[in-house]
Amino acid sequence: MCHIRDPIRHSRPSSRSVFGRGPLWTVVGFASMAALPWHLEAQESQPPQQQTSESGRQQLLDRIDELERRLDDLESTAVLSEPETRVRRIEVWVDENGIEYDEPMPGTRSVVTYQRERVFRRQTINEKIEEALDDAANRSVGLGVDAAIVLQNAQQTTGADTPADGNFYELASADLFFTAGLAQYTVFFADIVGLSGTPPDAEVDALTLLNGYAARLVRQNELNLREAWLMTELFSQRLSLSAGRVDLTNYFDHNAAANDETSQFVSDALVNNPMLGLSENGAGLAAVYDPKTGFNAKIGYQQSSSSATNLSDSLFYLAEVGHLWTPFGLGEGNYRLWYRTDNGSGTNRKAYGVSVDQRLTPVITVFGRFGSAQTDGARDRFVSAGLQFRNGTVFNPEDAWGIGYAQTELGAGDDEMLLEGYYNLHMTEKLNLSFHLTHVTEEPIGAGKISYLVPGVRLQASF
Amino acid sequence: MSLARITLVSIISSLLGSGTLLAQEHDAASHAVSGATGGDIKITDPAAVVLIVNRDSNDIAFMDIHTNKMIGSVFLGNNVNPHMAMMSHDGRWVVTGGTRANKAFIIDVPTMTLVKEIPVGFAPEHLAFTPDGRYYYQGNPDGDSISVIDMVSLTEIKRIPGFAEPLNITFTPDGSKAYIGNYGAHWVGVVDVTRHELLKRIQIGEVPEIAKLDPERYLGEIKGVSNASISNDGRYIYAADGDLGIVGIIDTRDDKVVKTIRVGADPWRAYMSHDGRYAVTVNNGDETVSFIDTTKNEVVATLEAGPDMTGVNFAAGKAFVVSATSGFLYVYNMDTLKPAGRIKIGTNLQLETATTDTADEKLYLASSTDHSVYVIDARSEDVARVAGVGLYPWGTHILDSKDNYCH
Repeated sequence: MCHIRDPIRHSRPSSRSVFGRGPLWTVVGFASMAALPWHLEAQESQPPQQQTSESGRQQLLDRIDELERRLDDLESTAVLSEPETRVRRIEVWVDENGIEYDEPMPGTRSVVTYQRERVFRRQTINEKIEEALDDAANRSVGLGVDAAIVLQNAQQTTGADTPADGNFYELASADLFFTAGLAQYTVFFADIVGLSGTPPDAEVDALTLLNGYAARLVRQNELNLREAWLMTELFSQRLSLSAGRVDLTNYFDHNAAANDETSQFVSDALVNNPMLGLSENGAGLAAVYDPKTGFNAKIGYQQSSSSATNLSDSLFYLAEVGHLWTPFGLGEGNYRLWYRTDNGSGTNRKAYGVSVDQRLTPVITVFGRFGSAQTDGARDRFVSAGLQFRNGTVFNPEDAWGIGYAQTELGAGDDEMLLEGYYNLHMTEKLNLSFHLTHVTEEPIGAGKISYLVPGVRLQASF
Repeated sequence: MSLARITLVSIISSLLGSGTLLAQEHDAASHAVSGATGGDIKITDPAAVVLIVNRDSNDIAFMDIHTNKMIGSVFLGNNVNPHMAMMSHDGRWVVTGGTRANKAFIIDVPTMTLVKEIPVGFAPEHLAFTPDGRYYYQGNPDGDSISVIDMVSLTEIKRIPGFAEPLNITFTPDGSKAYIGNYGAHWVGVVDVTRHELLKRIQIGEVPEIAKLDPERYLGEIKGVSNASISNDGRYIYAADGDLGIVGIIDTRDDKVVKTIRVGADPWRAYMSHDGRYAVTVNNGDETVSFIDTTKNEVVATLEAGPDMTGVNFAAGKAFVVSATSGFLYVYNMDTLKPAGRIKIGTNLQLETATTDTADEKLYLASSTDHSVYVIDARSEDVARVAGVGLYPWGTHILDSKDNYCH
């Protein structure tokens, strides 16, 4: 018995010191432990009565248990491969005395609880650091920035002289986005935007904005709360509800090729359909039903005028259905039909429109919009179409360019024809530089035709 | 030899032999040892089992494909952390790489016995058998090498150096060449299987000049080629490159890129549909999937998908895309190339990869954080959970399945 115990006892002090000290001691400890099997081999030559001694076996087992515990400690604390722990949602069964069981038992009820579990995965220090950083990022409020500088010049090409001829315009825009997860499938989002500078729209009397950055913003040269809403997803995330101060153009009238003033066309007529009639964001709600089958349906409302004293008198209501098709063996195409009403003017005015984007080839996507809006007189109408090019016809792989035409005809008689081409140079993941050339012709009722050529440069950063 | 003695000896020998540190899972360790001594036949039909790679319980589990009952598991050792398992073509062996043990493990399937541990390169992960089953190539991504394991002598006969984070291995049908995806580079390695030598490095695409402006993206972390996916006739390789956002098509006759196709952002790899008509890439950068028509070799549809996609399975005329962190499988109709809904597996789950059975009827999806495998009927889209398959199931495997892959 003593012979069995001695070698282990002999190693014990050094083992104990090993666990509390540095690498050198670890090596010494391992070396002494390396001798253990040989000592054990020697023990087999001991008399049978000693080998079979029950108490001796028990003591050996105890020693082994202690050694294994120490090895566990060593692995848990003295090396970088700390066993991973995670918390898991589990179902247990609890009886009337509060005793938990892993399986259903008579007189128990099912309860969902959470419990830490230890798993045996050897992790590198890099993995641990990465996990910790990810975890910290997930718990914090996300902050994003989208900043842009748009420099434009107006060259009048036809019509009587106007103050805009030859002038340069520069608008700087910065959006700060805040996102935070509040609960399961529930997030908060806010967008605070600051605009500074002078877009050409102050001097070029166009029906639509030549710089879409200023759309749906009333005040400039100060901070605006563009959006602030809570979004939650229901019914296996098929239905999403966003409520708060919303920009309904983020949900309706989408278009894959003409919907983003930060990376595509800068003219607002090629960003959204003017027949939507949304002049500013407001408090409201958007509901999107998307079962991921290619069909989706959306409804939403918002206050259409910030000067209104109640929602009932300025209710803007919008509904849309969309469908994804692959007609005639072409690539994917998105087809959307929307309808809206707005009682902000005192009467309930209606409008409808379509928005289509269809991929013709891996390189070319064609897009188009149509809209018609009710007025006091004849209906306002809008139509736009264009092409977007990506892949193969660009200088750099992620560049894109496009040409688009938009025509706006007001029922009162004013017309606008706008043509824009752009090339978006994707410089880095966070930085884009794009070049724009816009030609716009205004035909106001009772006045002569006025045209402008508006070249522009947009530097856009998002991070 | 007493059980306690065996445990102690195994602890110390593992300490000395591999440099890995010490046992924690005592019960499991003893189970593995007792399993190793058993010689009774436990599996008579290797095609009727689903292999489950349990990363954190360090075992390969076997599930009856007909009853969804667990047959048993083979413990590999503490902190081995297996990554991928594959059954030999004859169903005799299961091989796996223990990422944190730097070893390959050979399991005898009929007896469910661990028969050999073979030291290989650093952090072994993905693997493949040669078509004749004579060799198995074990990729060692952190060692930038491929270990060649002779399945007759069960030894590593060669370690092929010169790769850059080699992930998946694809053999040509005649077994003459292997194509290795290098995630740490933008090339595919071509290995002469006769001599087990790296023959060529085929560049999938050039990094654009403008990349100089974006060191954060191009120098921070490389996302190169994870897999060389081969067409059904063996003629072409489809190799997706994550950073470049392209799929390079290699003609295996002369090992040249014959075309590059731009897909969505950050494609993980291409998955070949079972009829060979489409190569489907999952693009995690913009959360889309791209369908490449392999007759025209161009993208015919790019459709919305989910975050963190890890794989695609084909069954019942549909493609099922695993979205790891959303808890969904996104479904696409392979005839119309339109989205066909999504299947919710659960909430707060981490889905890993799935295998399709040979009848193309059911998917076996590993779900790591709830230690489960979900069996999905591809036609009805009914989902059945098999809980308690082991800790952190990382992947599944079925003999002769066309969707045996890893991530």
